[in-house]
Amino acid sequence: MEHAKTVLIIDDDADYVSGLAHLLETNGYGVRTAASGGDGLDLAKTVKPDAILLDVMMDDRTDGFFTLERIRAVPDLSDIPVIVISSIYSDYPVFRVSPESGWLPANLFLPKPVNPARLLAELARLTGTGHLTLPAETRSQPT
Amino acid sequence: MKIVKIPGKDLDLFASVLPAFGRLYAPVKRGSGYVFDQPANWSEIALSYARTILPPRKLLLPPREALFTFDPVNGYRDLLAEAAEPQVLFGVHAYDIHGLNILDRVFGQGKYADPYYITRRRNSAIVGIDFDPDDRHFARSMNADFVDGGFDLFLHDIGDDYLVRVGTSRGDDMVAMSGCLMSEPTAADIAEFKRRSGQRHAAYRTGVELGDLPEILEMEYHSEVWKELGERCLSCGSCSMVCPTCYCFDVSDEVELGTRAGSRLRTWDSCLFKTHAAVAGGENFRKSRSSRVKFRFYHKQRGYVAEYGRPSCVGCGRCSVACPAGIDIVTVIRTIRGQTDVHADDVNVATAGR
Repeated sequence: MEHAKTVLIIDDDADYVSGLAHLLETNGYGVRTAASGGDGLDLAKTVKPDAILLDVMMDDRTDGFFTLERIRAVPDLSDIPVIVISSIYSDYPVFRVSPESGWLPANLFLPKPVNPARLLAELARLTGTGHLTLPAETRSQPT
Repeated sequence: MKIVKIPGKDLDLFASVLPAFGRLYAPVKRGSGYVFDQPANWSEIALSYARTILPPRKLLLPPREALFTFDPVNGYRDLLAEAAEPQVLFGVHAYDIHGLNILDRVFGQGKYADPYYITRRRNSAIVGIDFDPDDRHFARSMNADFVDGGFDLFLHDIGDDYLVRVGTSRGDDMVAMSGCLMSEPTAADIAEFKRRSGQRHAAYRTGVELGDLPEILEMEYHSEVWKELGERCLSCGSCSMVCPTCYCFDVSDEVELGTRAGSRLRTWDSCLFKTHAAVAGGENFRKSRSSRVKFRFYHKQRGYVAEYGRPSCVGCGRCSVACPAGIDIVTVIRTIRGQTDVHADDVNVATAGR
């Protein structure tokens, strides 16, 4: 029997993390959480998750970007899929460097608030768990 | 040179895209000093610092570097690819950039250009930043308080904003990538730059007269000052280790035990070490500490001038801070000039401004 994939959520918003963790766990993922970039990096080295969901604005508003660089610098972690989830573009419209321009070494950028269906589909793709169908109660309106 | 402006409050956003150009190194506080290291976050980066313990040359001419490996099966394999890993050095002071420009002349030109240094230099983006001089800085005397080349971007604090001088096409790419963070400076911005530049010039509390120093050193070759310094110098080599422009190195082969495989290593050396001038056969051309400490001063302020037209000292003050014997380069120069006693000021200067 295949073990559940583990997702590490690095985000300092406890309520948001709680909701996200519930979404993932009800869809068959194991979840670990960290409230800061430093703790997230340490936990990633220990747990070696199958995917990482990374917030940007934590103690500093660019914390997640720096954490991502440190994750990529660790050989054991460099291949772990990372989805950056952040409202930094809407909160700071002057920051218009497109995540698709190639500077961000994440596998994917999703704006907050994140579409749960999109998130689950992308996680399934990146972790190789195939296409998942959401239970009816978790389907949301498309953004 | 193209000049743009960025709000100080948006420097963190700008810094977050710099890793697109390489692994980011910046001055961060470690213990009681500052070092160039990979920052954990923006708050860790020190925009205002006196000096780092080791100069940024440690990232271009590493203290210990494997040049190539060898083994009986695969032969030789050079490690130039490792040297080509891109990196960004953020927050480098002007005198340290001058230091790199001086190393460029030594390693980057001529018959024996060093491919490892050249590769690292080409793949290192440099973002400079202003500094406020302390009691140890005499970069203004060494014409190293302002730099007009050898960097990709240079940030000048003008209050709420930074003027950004663009030094290379890679710097221009950085500006382009950061998009709407940068804007055109105004006449008021330029006026504020000039005002602060004048303030910084006036803030230097330490200086040396440079013009005829090489000739005075020639005249004072047999001065008793060198003997007195030799008695105080510990030959620890700290001055060389912390110097932005020292470039002596040793080469050795390290063989894995029980095999015929290994690597050729380059490691930092110092002309203060007793073995530095020792040659095969047992002769040592600088056996005494006084001869070695004299050599260091003459190389920096006389020999390099003859070879390249300027001293290789950039006035950062690191050697004075690092010396456990309290030898202060400014005091030594003034003493040679007959302006002070080599003992009188050293203790006071050694304890001030650390």
